[in-house]
Amino acid sequence: MCWPIVLVLVTEVAVTDSYVYVLTALLPLTASILVTQANPYHALVLRGILGAVAALVYTVLGAADVALTEALVGTMLAITLYAVAVRSSLVMRLGVLKEAIPDWRAASKSDDALVALQQADQANAEQPSFAPLLSDLRTVCGKHHLRLELVSYPDSQALQQALVDKEIHAALRVEHKDRYFSESGFEPNSERINLHSESFCSLCIRIRRLYDILQAELTSPAASLTYVDLATSPEVGPVLASVGEQQP
Amino acid sequence: MINLLSYFCIATGIVFWFWGTADLLSKRSVLFKLHSLSVADTLGSIAIVVGLLLKIPREWPLLLLAIICLALWNTMLGYVLAYCSSASNGGSRD
Amino acid sequence: MILNLALIAMILALLIPIYTVCKDQDIWQRMLAFASVASKAAILILVISVLRDDWMIGVVGVIILSVGNAGLMLLAHIIKRMNDLAST
Repeated sequence: MCWPIVLVLVTEVAVTDSYVYVLTALLPLTASILVTQANPYHALVLRGILGAVAALVYTVLGAADVALTEALVGTMLAITLYAVAVRSSLVMRLGVLKEAIPDWRAASKSDDALVALQQADQANAEQPSFAPLLSDLRTVCGKHHLRLELVSYPDSQALQQALVDKEIHAALRVEHKDRYFSESGFEPNSERINLHSESFCSLCIRIRRLYDILQAELTSPAASLTYVDLATSPEVGPVLASVGEQQP
Repeated sequence: MINLLSYFCIATGIVFWFWGTADLLSKRSVLFKLHSLSVADTLGSIAIVVGLLLKIPREWPLLLLAIICLALWNTMLGYVLAYCSSASNGGSRD
Repeated sequence: MILNLALIAMILALLIPIYTVCKDQDIWQRMLAFASVASKAAILILVISVLRDDWMIGVVGVIILSVGNAGLMLLAHIIKRMNDLAST
C-alpha cells in the first residue's frame, strides 16, 4: 500500500539531487581528459572547457563568487597568458645567412617560402638546396609541437656571434666540402652527406635535446648536424670560427 | 496555461540542443558543424530562456539580458570561428 | 520536478561535446566543442538559478555568458589564427 508512495519519494529525492552529482562528476572527467593531452594548444582548449565546467559546478554548489572568478580569471586570463607563453617558448630559432634566402619577407612567413627557395635553388644550381631541408625541419618540429622561426643575419660573423650570444638555437649555413675538411679537421657523420656534391648544409645546434631529436628524426640527406656545447667551448670551437673567417 | 507554454518552450530548446549538437559527432566539415551548432545553440538557448522567462517573469531584466547576449555573442562568435577556421585551413593547404 | 528532468536532459546534451573533444583530434572541432560547452554551461547556470529562485546565481550565469564565453572565444581564436599563420 505504501510502496508507491515510497517509490515516488525515492525517485523524487534521486531526481532532485542527482543533477548535482552528475555535474560534479563532469569536473574530474574533463580534468582527466585535459591531463592526457600532448599538444599544448589542444590542452589550452580543454583548459577552457574545464573552466566552463568548473564554473558550472561552483555555481551548482552555491559559490557564485568563486564561479565568477573562475570564469573571468581562470578561463580568460589564464588561457591568454598560457597562449602567449606557449607561443613564445615552444619555438626553434634558426639562424641563416641573408643571401641564402633570396626573398626574405616571404621566407619568414609561410609555405610560399619553399616555392621561392626552390626557384632560387634552380637559379644557382651549384648551391645545395635549403628547401627540402627546411621542410624536413618543419615536419620534425611540428611533430614535437615546435614552431620553426627563421632569423636572418647579414654575414657569417654575425651568425656565429648570434649563436654564441644564445640569440638563436641553431645556425644553418652552406659549407664547401674541401675547404671545410682541410681547415677544420672536423669529420661530419658521413652517411648524411652526399659525397659527390662539393658543398652541403651544416646545422650547428647548441641545445643537446634539440640535437638528439634532429639526429634521430631528420631524414634529409644533405645536412650535417653538429652539436656545439657553449659551456665547454666558449668560442664555438674551430668549426664555426674557421668557416666564419673564410667566408667574407 | 502559461506554465504549459513555458515547459513547451524549454522542451523545444532541449530538442534543438540535441539536434544541433548531434551533428558534432558526424564526419562533416567544420563549417557545416559550425552552422548547425550555432543555429541550435542560439535558437535552443533562446527558447529555453524564454521558457524560463514565462515561468518566472519576476527576473525579466536578467533573462532579457541573457537573450540579448546570446543573440549578439553567438552570432559574432560564429562569424569569427568560420573566418578563422577557413583562413587557417586554406593557408595550410596551399 | 519537470525542471529537474529538463536539467538532466541538458546535462546529457552537455556530454556530447565533451565526448567529441575526447574523440576528435582536429583543433577546430575542439574549438567548436568548446564553444558549445561554454554556452551550454551558461544556460545551465541560468536554469539552475531559476530553479532555486536565486538572483545572484543568475547574475553569474549572465556574466559568464556575455564575458567569459564569447570574449574568451574571440581572443582564443585570434591567438590560434596567429599561431597557424606563423607555423605553416
